[in-house]
Amino acid sequence: MAHLLTERKPYLLLLILLTFNLGLMSSRIRSASERSLLEEGILGLGSPFLKAAGWIGQAVSGTWHAYVGLRGVERENRRLRERIDALALQAHEAEEARQELGRLRELLDLRAGVPFDSVPARVIARGVDGSARVVTLDRGGREGVRINHPVITPRGVVGRIIEAATAASKVQTILDPNSGVAGLIQRTRVQGMIVGDGDRGCRMEYVSELANIEVGDVVVTSGLDQIYPKGYTLGMVAAIGEGEGLTKIVEIRPEVDFRRLEEVLVLLKREGPPERTAP
Amino acid sequence: MRVVRGLLALGAAALAQALLSRYVPVAARFCDLFTIMVVYYGLTCPPSAAMAMGTGAGLVEDSLVGSILGMNGFKKTLIGYLVGTIGSLFMLNQAIPRFGILFAATVFDPLAEWGLSVAMGRSFAFPGTLPLLQRGLGNGVLGLLFFWVASRLP
Repeated sequence: MAHLLTERKPYLLLLILLTFNLGLMSSRIRSASERSLLEEGILGLGSPFLKAAGWIGQAVSGTWHAYVGLRGVERENRRLRERIDALALQAHEAEEARQELGRLRELLDLRAGVPFDSVPARVIARGVDGSARVVTLDRGGREGVRINHPVITPRGVVGRIIEAATAASKVQTILDPNSGVAGLIQRTRVQGMIVGDGDRGCRMEYVSELANIEVGDVVVTSGLDQIYPKGYTLGMVAAIGEGEGLTKIVEIRPEVDFRRLEEVLVLLKREGPPERTAP
Repeated sequence: MRVVRGLLALGAAALAQALLSRYVPVAARFCDLFTIMVVYYGLTCPPSAAMAMGTGAGLVEDSLVGSILGMNGFKKTLIGYLVGTIGSLFMLNQAIPRFGILFAATVFDPLAEWGLSVAMGRSFAFPGTLPLLQRGLGNGVLGLLFFWVASRLP
């Protein structure tokens, strides 16, 4: 009997298992609404796997999305940094352009107001020592610039052309000790010669000791030197000192800021009497 | 020890099948990991172990799929028995015969279900020849891979 069982064991097992499965199927079909404890147990077999699958899927999905998100953030961060750099450069350029526009507008207004032909020019170089006694402009003989043409800004007189090449020219500013401009005190019409005093500014010489001059008086060109038209601002009286003999020396602070000189106007030729309404 | 390994393998197959059907349903259509498990046990273990694995795998599949309880258990038990019997009669340790057995078992699965459905007077939608062939091919390839991996496990 035992031998028979061993020999027929697979068939018996097959029979038992198939019957078991058939029993499960038939009971399920017979009573679709009611489930036995065994059926509940077998049906419950799958739920842990489904839950685990959901949990694993969510974990993998979450990790993947976090990783992708992190990569995206890094990429976006790099892109935004580049954008910030580009925008900073643009903002800088825009600010430069805005300031230049303001200066050029002033220059344009000045150009419209002067009774001479004129050409705007840009300062492209200063003296090798860094001083502003001589500056170089980007306009020259090709644009009609000639020696002794006066150079001005909306603030006042800059100087005169001393060299004019084809495409560039040199300006001797009123700070140069070798320069001389005929000027007068706007308030009292006292005249004198304004010479450069280096980076300190200018001084007015040959002024009578009795002349009525006060600190703060505005000094303008008188036009007597036949170079600078009359009435353009040179500067303001900063101090008054004793001169040789019966004269006094008047220290003048120029209105033009020569350290920040960028755009100027070259007056090409004079037409009619060089008169200008004093500011 | 073999029982524990069998249970672990069955759990892993159930988990993998659940993951596939949930996140890669296209891939799940081309493979039936439970059939692969049963065929593996049928070719490497005695028929009784293959049948036991078939019943277990089928019931777990029933609980996962939500089909009539016992349907897959019946089919897989039958597959386990047939493969186990064939495996004990022939040397099926080469890739091509194993592929053939995997393919045949996969094709047999819906045929058995069709037979059972007819016997019980229930309607059955046959999956179609092409999807069945694709599934057999997918199971064959994946089964061979499973055999290769399993042979390298300690």
